[in-house]
Amino acid sequence: MNPAPSMPDSLLTQARAGDTDAFAALVRAHQGSVFSIGLRMLNRRDAAEDLAQDVFLQLYRRLADIESQEHLGFWLRRVASNLAIDWLRRLPYTSTQPLDDDMQVASPENPQDPLMDRELARLMNELSPPARAVMLLRYQEDRDLAEIGATLDMPVNTVKSHIKRSLTALRARMIGARLVDCEPRE
Amino acid sequence: MTDELENQLRRALRPVEAPEGFTERLMSRLPVAPAALYTSAPVVVALPVPARRKPRNFALPAALAASLVAAVMLGQHMAYEIETGRQQRELAEGRAASRELMEALRVTSQKLDMAYQAVNSPSRPAAPGEEENPS
Repeated sequence: MNPAPSMPDSLLTQARAGDTDAFAALVRAHQGSVFSIGLRMLNRRDAAEDLAQDVFLQLYRRLADIESQEHLGFWLRRVASNLAIDWLRRLPYTSTQPLDDDMQVASPENPQDPLMDRELARLMNELSPPARAVMLLRYQEDRDLAEIGATLDMPVNTVKSHIKRSLTALRARMIGARLVDCEPRE
Repeated sequence: MTDELENQLRRALRPVEAPEGFTERLMSRLPVAPAALYTSAPVVVALPVPARRKPRNFALPAALAASLVAAVMLGQHMAYEIETGRQQRELAEGRAASRELMEALRVTSQKLDMAYQAVNSPSRPAAPGEEENPS
C-alpha cells in the first residue's frame, strides 16, 4: 500500500503547528500500513497495536523533523520495521501463533485463493525477522530495493539476497505443504 | 513460478485495517502539550520563585585567589633569580681559578726554562767535583 500519496503537505504543516485534527488525519492515512507491518512481524494483534501506537507517539514528538508526506511514509516504515525487529529480539513473541482469521483486508480485491493467501502469510512467520521485514516492505508496501535497504540500514545486495532466499524457502515450504505441485521453472 | 509466487505474496500481504478505535485511543494518549511544543513555539512555564537570598559577595574570594596566585608567581620568580645568581657566581669563581692556575703554570714554566738554560750554558764555570766526560 502506498498510504495516502495524494495527501497535501499542508496537513503535515498543520499537524506540526499543533493541530490535533490534522495529526489524526495523518494517523488515519498511515495506520493500516504501520499496523500491518507490526501484525505480520509480531504475529499478534495486541502487540501490533502497541507497536503502532508507539510509532505514532514517536511521530508526534518528531513532527518537526518530517519534511514531506513522502518522508513521513518512509519514516513510519523505518521506525515500525526496526521497532518490530527490536521487539522480536527482546520479547518472547512466538512466531508460530497463527494470524487472526477475522483480519480485515484494507484493499478487498478479489483474492483468488484465500486459503493459499493465509498459508503464505503463515509461512512468512517462519522467516527470520530481518528477512520478514524485507519481504513485507517489498510485497506489502511495494517498495523498491534501494528504499528497503535505506529503511532497514541494509546494503541493496543483502536485500536482494534476503528476497531470493525467502522466495526459495517459501516455494519449498509450499511444495512441502502440497499447496503447489510443481518444481520451480527458472 | 517466481512471478506467480510474488503475485500470491502481494495478495496475501495486503495491508489490513487497524483495529476499530485505533486513532481515538492514540489521540487520548497524546501528551497534553500540543505538538508545537516539540517544534518551535516557545512556551513560557511559570516556575515557583525561590525565596530571595542575600546575594553572595564573590569579591573577597576572588581577591584571595588572586593574591595566592600572585604570591606563588612571585616566589617562583625569586627562586629563579636566586638560582641564576648562584650559578653565575660559581661560573665566575671557576673562571678566576682557571686564570690563576694558568698564571701559576706559566710562571713555573718560565722558572724551569731559566734553570734549564743555566744548567746547559757552556760558559758556566765547572762546579767543584764535576768531571768532564772522558768520551
